[in-house]
Amino acid sequence: MPELHFAAIGTQWMIDTPQPIDQTLEALISDRVARFDQTYSRFRGDSLITALATDGGTHRFPDDADALFDLYDTLYARTDGAVTPLVGRALERLGYDRDYSLTEHGTVEPAAAWTTEVAREGTTLTTTTPVLIDVGAAGKGYLVDLVGELLHENGIHEFVIDASGDLLVSTREPRRIALEHPFDPSLAIGVAEISRGSICASGSNRRVWGNGRHHILDGRTGEPTRDVIATWAIAETALVADGLATALFFTAPERLAESFDFQWVRMFASGLADRSPGLQGELFS
Amino acid sequence: MRLQNKITLSALAGASLIGSLAGCTTTASTPTSDTSSAPSTGSSTGTASKTYKDGTYTEDGTYQSPAGTGRITVKLTLASGVVTAVNVNGHATDPTAKTYQADFDSGIAGKVVGKKIDSLNVTNVSGSSLTSAGFDEAIKAIEASASA
Repeated sequence: MPELHFAAIGTQWMIDTPQPIDQTLEALISDRVARFDQTYSRFRGDSLITALATDGGTHRFPDDADALFDLYDTLYARTDGAVTPLVGRALERLGYDRDYSLTEHGTVEPAAAWTTEVAREGTTLTTTTPVLIDVGAAGKGYLVDLVGELLHENGIHEFVIDASGDLLVSTREPRRIALEHPFDPSLAIGVAEISRGSICASGSNRRVWGNGRHHILDGRTGEPTRDVIATWAIAETALVADGLATALFFTAPERLAESFDFQWVRMFASGLADRSPGLQGELFS
Repeated sequence: MRLQNKITLSALAGASLIGSLAGCTTTASTPTSDTSSAPSTGSSTGTASKTYKDGTYTEDGTYQSPAGTGRITVKLTLASGVVTAVNVNGHATDPTAKTYQADFDSGIAGKVVGKKIDSLNVTNVSGSSLTSAGFDEAIKAIEASASA
């Protein structure tokens, strides 16, 4: 299958399609990614997120923000505040900042309350004080969905979008997807089979720095999570799968299943793993 | 400190035991505790010319979970400077972990083993190792400064 490779939002992307993606569509994808980055990147001085972090006040986000913040609202409720877009400041304090300083500055504090700190009316966010939003828990998955929509709109209905391990699959025959071992990328702990839908992974193994710091923060304490070391979520959209992969670090799958229809795999620091009964695929034991 | 270097190496080699253990407080590896002196840019592109002795290394580590402190034993095998095998054993003492151990017997949760991705008939890989190019650059810079 022809493949289109490109770099976007700090990671490598690959799109498999039966027919090649022409230059016009490639330009559309590139433009879509650029607009997303312009809005949501907290690493860019000119993004809407940075504006909100600098001045606070009222900011109108693009139409696509509605679904993203809706998902965060649900995850926030289901995880008792552990998953929140307001972990941004805590991430910065821990050193996961624009310069990747990886140096702790300031003290670790719980994230501000998403429900009280930010008033949201659709896509319009209002804050009294500057707040730093981080959509890292679901943003990449969402962009995968948006690129998938572009493909559908342009007549390409069969594809696999692979944003470095977060995938959206739309194929006739199920794709077999390896679940990468969190300790060793040459190994897999299992395989999932998907023909329609998304699988997203989250791990505490990779983005890691001093003193047990890694990028998955518990919004209730501002501290990184510890016990679960890797998660996978399979859902209809990459937005939901990506968000749930993060939420699985904090919250029992059964509780998340009250709001979402999804399959899952978790791996623990003990080397054990568990999975949803309905998972299409297998874990190796 | 001996193992620390080897674990740091594994991060460079594309494996990432550094992460799994730095998520813990461990007697064997606190490589990233040095990062307070890390450069804030990736300007340092040191070539990690250090060589590591092949062999199998075993270290204990501890981690904190809501149920208390857990202990794991990590065994890793190095060949030609690359981590070729990783084995992690949990020593469950707390009730939650014991539950998982018990579940394993009934087939609900169990110890998983890694299989070579090359040997599997798969088209894609889902994982977090490739997540952030920028972050990997930073890790490399830290590795360079840590081994300097």
